[in-house]
Amino acid sequence: MAKTSSALNELVSELPDPDERGMYCTDINKTKIEKVIARINKGGHDSIIGLVNMLVEPGKGDDAKPRYALHCLAVYVCKRKNRKNRKAFANSLAMQLADDYSKAVKSYLIRQLQVAGGREVVPTLGKLLHDEELCEPAAQALVAIGSGAATQLRNALPEAGGKCRLTIIQNLGVVRDRNSVGTLNRALGDDDRETRPAAAWALANIGDARSVKALLKAADSQGWERIQATKACLLLAERLLSAGKKKEAVGIYTHLRDTRSDPDEHYVREAAEKGLAITNRKARMGG
Amino acid sequence: MHSKGERTMQKDKQVTRREFLKGSIGAATAFTIVPRHVLGGPGYTPPSETFGAALIGCGGRGNGTFNAMGLEARKLAICDVKFVGRTDNKMVYTDFRRVLERKDIDVVAIATPPHWHALISIAAMEAGKDVLCEKPMTRFIAEGRAVADAEKRYKRIFQVGTFGRFGASRNPANIETHKIMKSGLLKNCKAVHIKRGGLKVKQWSGIVNPTPQPIPKSLDWDMYCGPSPLKPYHPHRTGGTHRGYWDYEGGGLTDMGQHHFDPVQWTFAKDDTSPVEIEAYAPPAHPEACGMWGWVEMKYADGLTFVFDSSEWPTQGEPSYDRKENREVSLSDLSEDDQKKIAAMPAPEPLITFAEAVKTRKRAGGNADAANRSATLMHLANIAIRTGRKIHYDPVKEEIIGDDRANRLVNPPMRAPWHL
Repeated sequence: MAKTSSALNELVSELPDPDERGMYCTDINKTKIEKVIARINKGGHDSIIGLVNMLVEPGKGDDAKPRYALHCLAVYVCKRKNRKNRKAFANSLAMQLADDYSKAVKSYLIRQLQVAGGREVVPTLGKLLHDEELCEPAAQALVAIGSGAATQLRNALPEAGGKCRLTIIQNLGVVRDRNSVGTLNRALGDDDRETRPAAAWALANIGDARSVKALLKAADSQGWERIQATKACLLLAERLLSAGKKKEAVGIYTHLRDTRSDPDEHYVREAAEKGLAITNRKARMGG
Repeated sequence: MHSKGERTMQKDKQVTRREFLKGSIGAATAFTIVPRHVLGGPGYTPPSETFGAALIGCGGRGNGTFNAMGLEARKLAICDVKFVGRTDNKMVYTDFRRVLERKDIDVVAIATPPHWHALISIAAMEAGKDVLCEKPMTRFIAEGRAVADAEKRYKRIFQVGTFGRFGASRNPANIETHKIMKSGLLKNCKAVHIKRGGLKVKQWSGIVNPTPQPIPKSLDWDMYCGPSPLKPYHPHRTGGTHRGYWDYEGGGLTDMGQHHFDPVQWTFAKDDTSPVEIEAYAPPAHPEACGMWGWVEMKYADGLTFVFDSSEWPTQGEPSYDRKENREVSLSDLSEDDQKKIAAMPAPEPLITFAEAVKTRKRAGGNADAANRSATLMHLANIAIRTGRKIHYDPVKEEIIGDDRANRLVNPPMRAPWHL
């Protein structure tokens, strides 16, 4: 870790002090703050490292100003629309994730990458997907960035367990990774009751016809899982219909129409009937 | 064999809450229900008008939201993450999923902090329940579309808890404005609606560096955080003051904005669209704690402009915004021929309350599409504040144009297992 320069310290000290309630509600000078951030940005990599060095775990000291400065910097480099500047900022932060900071500090850095990061930090974030404390922010930053996220999530899944596995499964659905359909189909039979609905939703959102059979089977479960798997079936049918796969969509709707005979599930039957009507209308129109 | 009267009663019992609400009988049955005074005398409520209800989120707005349903409702379940140690999973719950599994619950009032509003609303409709949800409807833009999709997919009733629009929709001046705007006859609309003050900016700000505190034994903190990032516990993040954190709401602007702009949006006939240009004047925002801002200007494609003026920053108690003045829409903005067309237009359909909607299966006046659009106003305003840049928005795709990083605030990822 580099030492923090006195010039940086001076700049950071110019940022507002929290008021008597601990808030930024008094004496907030927009122009002054923006000038400070612009000057910190000019300090480049060293300034970023200096700010990171000032961060502490929550409750272990007062880092309100450097914490604020780092976030303002993340927003500032996006606002400038200077690709080189933004990329340099993101790379500088990403480098620190391999260093010896606390998990709480690293989590904060990842959240700033969620704001300003791009493809350049994707491999670094991917390495954190097996970390119980960092997998959630890392996965969220990855899917916010989008490009390249699916490969990282897919590659991390086989070795992931517990919370990391659940997080990865859900986010494979967010990025709609078709290459994970087989793995996610198997996750429908997972021992973990949170993982099964997450896998069902992920498969539905991906919208691949290979998921139809497994999702219909999952929708025969009971309670919350039945509700969630039924939703997944309806979502999958909508996705398939949008992709022109009418036969598969009809299969889902027909199954739900025929199996939801209990008055308590009449609304699902109606949803399926509506889906069938839309499908038939599209077929008549040659769509 | 049943007598005719018994059959009526029997049928009425069979049509209790479940079939009625699940939509299997639907509107056609509504007029077959015998009035309560015929069946059981004054004060008697027939079973078909009594609804099994649950309250999810039992804080300061809990009972108010529940009562706002306006139904003869039996409260069968209450649910709150702060009920740890006192749950019986019969009446008292900490996990809303267990409540929604119950088949005897027809309607759900949601008064949790807003980061849970959309998820629970969607889950409730997926479980076949009707929903009255406290404002603000959502924490971010994509949630609103997902609620509206669920409302349509399952044909459930959804109503957001901002009733100002019902009063607005009965006001003759508002009706005239509504008709003018709805007609599309007004080109280059120059109307400006400025909301000055009353947005509780300072009141609902967050602490910028909260010192973590021990989690109370009665609180399921992980469940409280839910889809939002799991942060160290601090009491200011809960119990009303949660409004001051991006993780759970969006400051006083989000808290009060939908109250104000929901009826204004109806008046200007903008329930089906959103502004296209959004510009804010604010200092750089804190990453976690909502703080000060001056004004936000939001312009629709037809030129109509809405303005939030905090009147709390840079100077407390004085207007922050001076770029435009309030300007109403009037018939005199139109040619004589067009004025005649407006006069010939029928009055807008009266808005339907939650209770009427539940009973008739007609769409509620503050339905998910309309509520999504009024919530979007606040979210767009906050995105402009948080990114420090002018936003261009596509009201059809419901995404920001040409700014991928600002779009990250339109649909931020959720913590598993929570998803839209």
